[in-house]
Amino acid sequence: MVSPFWDRAFRLFAWGCSLVLMGTFLIIIGFLCIKGYTALNLRLIFGDTGFWDAVVLRRQVFDGLFPAMAGTLCLILLSVVLAVPLGLSTGIFLAEYASPRVKWFFSFVFDILAGIPSIVVGLFGFSITLFLHQSFFDRLYPCLLISALSLAFLVLPYMIRTTQMALESLPASLRLTAPSLGATQLQSIVYVLLPAALSTILSGIILSIGRCAEDTAVIMLTGAVATAGIPRSVFSSFEALPFYIYYISSQYADHSELINGYGACLVLIFICMNLFVLSHFLKKRLSQKLLFRH
Amino acid sequence: MQPKIKIAGLDFYYNGRPVLENICMEAFENTITAVTGPSGQGKSSLLIAVNRLWESIEGARVKGDIQIRFGQTFQNIYDPGFRVPELRKKVGMVFQMPNPLPMSIYKNIVFPLKLTGGHKKKDAAFRVETALKRSFLWEEVKDRLNEDARSLSGGQQQRLCIARALILNPEVLLLDEPTASLDDTSGRMIESLLLEVKKSCTLLLVSHYLDQVKRIADKGMRLSRGQITQAW
Repeated sequence: MVSPFWDRAFRLFAWGCSLVLMGTFLIIIGFLCIKGYTALNLRLIFGDTGFWDAVVLRRQVFDGLFPAMAGTLCLILLSVVLAVPLGLSTGIFLAEYASPRVKWFFSFVFDILAGIPSIVVGLFGFSITLFLHQSFFDRLYPCLLISALSLAFLVLPYMIRTTQMALESLPASLRLTAPSLGATQLQSIVYVLLPAALSTILSGIILSIGRCAEDTAVIMLTGAVATAGIPRSVFSSFEALPFYIYYISSQYADHSELINGYGACLVLIFICMNLFVLSHFLKKRLSQKLLFRH
Repeated sequence: MQPKIKIAGLDFYYNGRPVLENICMEAFENTITAVTGPSGQGKSSLLIAVNRLWESIEGARVKGDIQIRFGQTFQNIYDPGFRVPELRKKVGMVFQMPNPLPMSIYKNIVFPLKLTGGHKKKDAAFRVETALKRSFLWEEVKDRLNEDARSLSGGQQQRLCIARALILNPEVLLLDEPTASLDDTSGRMIESLLLEVKKSCTLLLVSHYLDQVKRIADKGMRLSRGQITQAW
């Protein structure tokens, strides 16, 4: 039996750890706010270009974050669109169809893939682009599509394993209910198992969105540049906020540029926060619609 | 009375271990046939052999012959051409623990209809109402059909599961200790419900409550160590 002393000591330790983490988070946010709040204005985002001229793409923004914000959003969207169908399907295959031996082998491989450093994935994406450029498409250069593909590859193992575990953790009774009512395996997966595991699966997707938004190593080798403007197609190079932050903090010419970098950090956090809130809202609405409304 | 289910030479194995051996029995139309006996003797295995649900359980294996009369002719449910989803639409099942799906009351009841496809919304609403009325649940839930089915009490959940099994008008209903997890009042309510249901359906009931078996069953048999040791 655990004595009351150890019980209380552990509870205190766990509480302390949570407090330290929360404190660290608040210190980081506070530090960024103190350093970057002076830079937060429309000029940081649109530079000398007017708000409407920039938003309706009438004039290009050269000295603001707008192209980087647009590039980041396009990158996240494209990566998620590429990764979600593949990730979900593979996760479903592993949880519902694969034999134990296949499941063990694939899970092992995806766990290893999940641990690959992002710079390696970036280098791989860059090498593939070079190969394609030299062998097949001489007009293909590092671009938004290559970056999105590389990022999708980066988050796929995580998405696959989250989907697999979300499905496998459903109770056995739930697994038998739909077949007992005449459902085929596919109907059971689509109508019962996926909606029941939706919350966990979407949490995995939300975390993947965060990963796509913050990763710099992959995009700096596969398509992100310092000045490119708004991407006109998936084959254009693009600007992205994490790359801008990396670039400005390593090569700033004066103090005001560094302050702009802090401002860009706050903008990136704001975008991520909004994406998370939107995803949570969608998660709630989708679960509600799928499971409770008729 | 005409026979509805004929079981001959049924063996059931779980992970290579025999659970049922050479089971031979018949169940008659519009009756309740009860299978009783101590826990772990293969009663539930007998039920899942009748709707082939064992095929969704890893390590389970069945040998033998089960024939069910659909219309005027008996069909062997283990014939290779016999479609399992079709079988389970005609042979409903209610489990020991109520197992509402994690969705609304309405969506739970309408779920088997959704699987068959092609039903109109208005027709589905009517059939949901009829199934809930048949299971004595309509008055209690008619104003909260969009609520989570898991928020109902244990007895209500079990009646919901019976309503869900009844919505396709099955010809056979398999009941695996349907009152075991319920209090006396809810249990009695389920018993009355089953007596109503048997007017249009053949019931195969597994129960270890002898008094319950005596109260509602037309025929009974005792299962011990995987074999039928007594029938009445």
